[in-house]
Amino acid sequence: MAADGLVRQQLVHRLYVDHQGWLNGWLRRQLGCSQKAADLAQDTFVRVLSKDQGLDAIREPRAYLHIIARGLLINHWRRRQIEQAYLEAIALQPEAVAPSPESQALVVETLMQVEAMLARLPEKVRRAFLLSQLHGLTYAAIALEVGVSERMVKKYMAQAMLHCLTLIEDDA
Amino acid sequence: MNLDYQVLQAAAQWFAVLQSDTVSDDDRQAWRRWLSDPEHDRAWQRVEQISGRFEPLSRDPFGVEASSLMQRRQPTRRQALKTLSVVFGGGVLALAGGGTPWRSWTADQRTAVGEVRDWQLPEGSHLWLNTNSAVDVALNDQVRQLSLYRGELLVQVSHERRPLLLRTAEGSVKAEAAARFSVLQRDGHTRLSVFDGAVEARPANGRSRMAHQGQQLDFTDLRIEAERPVQSGRQAWASRVLLADNLRLDEFIAEVGRYRQGYLGCDPRIAGLRVVGAYPLADTDRVLDVVASTLSLRVNRRLPWWVSLEPA
Repeated sequence: MAADGLVRQQLVHRLYVDHQGWLNGWLRRQLGCSQKAADLAQDTFVRVLSKDQGLDAIREPRAYLHIIARGLLINHWRRRQIEQAYLEAIALQPEAVAPSPESQALVVETLMQVEAMLARLPEKVRRAFLLSQLHGLTYAAIALEVGVSERMVKKYMAQAMLHCLTLIEDDA
Repeated sequence: MNLDYQVLQAAAQWFAVLQSDTVSDDDRQAWRRWLSDPEHDRAWQRVEQISGRFEPLSRDPFGVEASSLMQRRQPTRRQALKTLSVVFGGGVLALAGGGTPWRSWTADQRTAVGEVRDWQLPEGSHLWLNTNSAVDVALNDQVRQLSLYRGELLVQVSHERRPLLLRTAEGSVKAEAAARFSVLQRDGHTRLSVFDGAVEARPANGRSRMAHQGQQLDFTDLRIEAERPVQSGRQAWASRVLLADNLRLDEFIAEVGRYRQGYLGCDPRIAGLRVVGAYPLADTDRVLDVVASTLSLRVNRRLPWWVSLEPA
């Protein structure tokens, strides 16, 4: 096991030496920021290191790195969008006191999770669920807002929860 | 350990029943009976775990609003800016318009370092004066004239027949109709940022140009030097908040430095780090501590008025 780990580290090291410059350049062009590009390149290799897949079987290392980096990049943009939405939400309420940066970070993180969790639900189902869980609306109010019957809202709620349950079930 | 799909289904059904505001006592009792099975109980814990994830969000009104914003739109910068300016402007616009009779009216306003002040003009326009700024206001029957001597001013221009003219050391800007814009005067430059409507920039000895919603122009007394999209956070100071939307640390520090006395700097080695967040301007010492702790930096307070951020 330990020997395997060592071999693995060496393989990743090889991968790093051969392709790190290329990956950095690609990420820099995508991001327009070398600091962030370096961070994401680093994350990409950390990700490779923690994967179970056999590294010696990788035929196209750049394609492989590209897929992983692309996933991280999408995540990064997603986070940026959420951060921006959050900042706008704060700017929209000039009288309110802005929350502390610590709790801002927590909320952005939660938004990321929630967005990812609900991303694949149909729009009406997602809206109904959020109106209930975030805004605390009654089913009657949600029915009005979404334009469906109350019975349908109840069905949507079950559907959304089941969806989330199967997601975390897969994680476990 | 994996749970049976049918059990998960039942748990989701119960969730939908119990979340309803019309849930009956019979329902609750039936649910408790269902829950007495250990496997059901485990499924229910998952339900609570998921519903608990929404809790930090639902307690934060900004989080709720942010989530709605995300749902509502296909995000483009322009739209985001539009939303910002509409909501910012809404309250003030309601007061504007209508034929206020003109009268000659002057007022001088100054703000100290760290102070932000806002007030309304008799004809309905609203002004916000940023830290360490000075402006004179003169209204007569032809023109509404402002003179910015230093610092930064945000104007919500009410619509009426008189144009609103704002002079700086480098020239002037003019709004003919309702608009929202800010002007920053510093180091031989004037920066015009237009959040709503259209505003004309005229260097004292150069050619004028129109700036529209979402545009920012920098000019000297000779010419207009640069045109850029306006940064969404550019008017947040009016609500006493510094919005850092992926701002470089050195730029962020320069911004914070406007709100405090003395020297504030950052080590060149960390100047390119990025700052994100909304920071209340009322307590800049706390802002520095928080940013330092987020980015794992050290605040070096050599003297009360000599402060710099350094690598930890």
